[in-house]
Amino acid sequence: MRGQLTRRALLQGGLAGAWLLAPRAAAQAGATTLGAGVTATEITLGVSAAFSGPSRGLGIELYRGAMAYFTEVNNNGGIGGRRIELRVYDDGYQPDPAVRNTLRLMLEDEVFLLFGYVGTPTVTRVLPVLKKFQDRNTYLFFPFTGAQPQRQPPYGDFAFNLRASYAQETKGLVDNFVGLGRRRIAVFYQADAYGRSGWAGVRAALRQHGEQMVGEATYRRGQKFTGSLRPQVEMLKKAAPEAIICVGAYAACAAFVRDAVDLGLKVPIANLSFVGSENLLSLLSEDYERSHQYTDLLVNSQVVPSYEDVSIPAVNEYRELMQRHNPQPPEILLKEEYISFLYSFTSLEGFLNAKLMVEILRRLGDDPSRQRLESAVFSVQDFDLGIGEQVSFGPDRRQGLQRVYYTVVNTGRFVSLDDWQAKFSL
Amino acid sequence: MPIPKVQKLFQKTFFGIFSMFGVIGFSTSVLCVYTVDTHLSAEYESNSRDIAKTIADSSVDILLNRDLATLQSLIDQFVEIQGISYIYITDETGTFLAHTFVPGLPEVIRQSDPSNTDTVERNLPGMGDFVEVGSPILAGVGGAVHVGMDTGLVALKIQRAIGQQIYLFSTVFIIGVFAAVWFVNLAAKPLGELLGYAVALAKDGAKAPPSDSLLRRNDEAGQLARLLLHCAGFTDADNKRGVAAPGEAR
Repeated sequence: MRGQLTRRALLQGGLAGAWLLAPRAAAQAGATTLGAGVTATEITLGVSAAFSGPSRGLGIELYRGAMAYFTEVNNNGGIGGRRIELRVYDDGYQPDPAVRNTLRLMLEDEVFLLFGYVGTPTVTRVLPVLKKFQDRNTYLFFPFTGAQPQRQPPYGDFAFNLRASYAQETKGLVDNFVGLGRRRIAVFYQADAYGRSGWAGVRAALRQHGEQMVGEATYRRGQKFTGSLRPQVEMLKKAAPEAIICVGAYAACAAFVRDAVDLGLKVPIANLSFVGSENLLSLLSEDYERSHQYTDLLVNSQVVPSYEDVSIPAVNEYRELMQRHNPQPPEILLKEEYISFLYSFTSLEGFLNAKLMVEILRRLGDDPSRQRLESAVFSVQDFDLGIGEQVSFGPDRRQGLQRVYYTVVNTGRFVSLDDWQAKFSL
Repeated sequence: MPIPKVQKLFQKTFFGIFSMFGVIGFSTSVLCVYTVDTHLSAEYESNSRDIAKTIADSSVDILLNRDLATLQSLIDQFVEIQGISYIYITDETGTFLAHTFVPGLPEVIRQSDPSNTDTVERNLPGMGDFVEVGSPILAGVGGAVHVGMDTGLVALKIQRAIGQQIYLFSTVFIIGVFAAVWFVNLAAKPLGELLGYAVALAKDGAKAPPSDSLLRRNDEAGQLARLLLHCAGFTDADNKRGVAAPGEAR
């Protein structure tokens, strides 16, 4: 299911997506520029995401999923004869590089739109940039974050979201836990905008049940799996929680689960979709002897269906294209070794993002322009993405999907959770 | 004729120099510590208060929009400023809405009165000593912003200032000592020679006059040498050698 992803492997492997990063001069040779980010032969989308650091798996997998679809579209003639090119920069999941990359994409590269950003702390800092240059009509499409800032004023008008929000994910988790009688809920979260967003979601959801969170602990962004999170576990242990909701990235959340189980804190531990479930599971499986204990009480919310459910048309398409193209990130961004997954929730989300992006670009017709981009998005009504949930957008509806899925680990992989009562009852 | 060393006369000079350096060093260090501490603490407190007020003013809309992620993003940017160790924001009920603590809110903060925006000194176990300032949001009806600055950083800056001063002081002191030794030696050499001649004169009557270089000196040592020579009754022949008469200035 997994393949070694190194510079060497990339060079030998044919660089499935490398043509997308061919020098612009060559790509644009003889091409007439029609508008910012559009030529007669290509449409350029700008990406800033984590391709390095402890959260690089998220950026890489999201990119791979999107590239699987874009590559297929390009191989079949592109959109009205135009290929989709991605200008990709690494921000390492850090806000300042994300802002710099965005300015570069907007002002120097003059991309048509921004696509597939990763993370709340990065996106929340990028949104003011979009507002500052709002006369350019550069929109951010489908960021990999469920935070609220890009869903509501004053920045909601500059972004379009596909995935469900963290508020919906945390509400779903809290509702299910409380429904089981697990009313004492604690939160472990990343000390930044992402963590606060999830924390606020849990807090709001508990309020609806007349409850408050019984404990909370934080960690710094960039925490590695090898680091200890025992102080955080000890803090939460004192609160005697009946369930813990983690709002973090995979390295830190895996370390927390490991330390919690090792210190005898045996309660259900939930993670949000952003965590990167496969990366989390991979880390927890490093200790083969204890991996079962570590994953036994895990429950992860997801914003896309299981990639194992082949009864879903879009999942079938995703699996087929991932196998066919096996896209890899640009070699120049690959600073650290990374072992990619053939399938993952994150790459499936990237795939669905790309699929809807292509649909919107098609609706722009033969003369794509940023000015008509918003109306093209709003024309998407009850669109069937192939996952059994219709997608609609409008001036007051800037999020396409609403559904939250729940998964647990079974025989070394995440599968759908069908019966909360049986798995997590007190 | 052996030349005895003149030591006792200059011991007091050396003692005086060392004492003076000691007094200057100590007093300037005390003054430096006081000045740096006072000014730096005041500056940090002032800056922290400005930051708290800036956050309080700019977070009103964010709070009204219930956008805690943006609020957290805002305080995360300010906590990157050197000297600012933590920031937390409470609403009007005292509920903590956003903070920068890892691994969690310290119990001391949790138990404090969040509506109090006066300057307070805090010791947070495992974290250190801090001075905390606050600023109300919407005159307090929206809550309050609290900014903590690390007093350890101020102490470190004071240590650095003192260290630099001691370095400068030590350099000047060492140069001064070498200079003093050199000058004292310059002064002591003719005095020693004069002393040697006086001792020889007293012991058995001088058989030989002091050296020409001593007799030719313009200073008190030269005058004393010539006076002693006169008392010893040297002849005109000696004078022809260039030896001045006692009391005759040259």
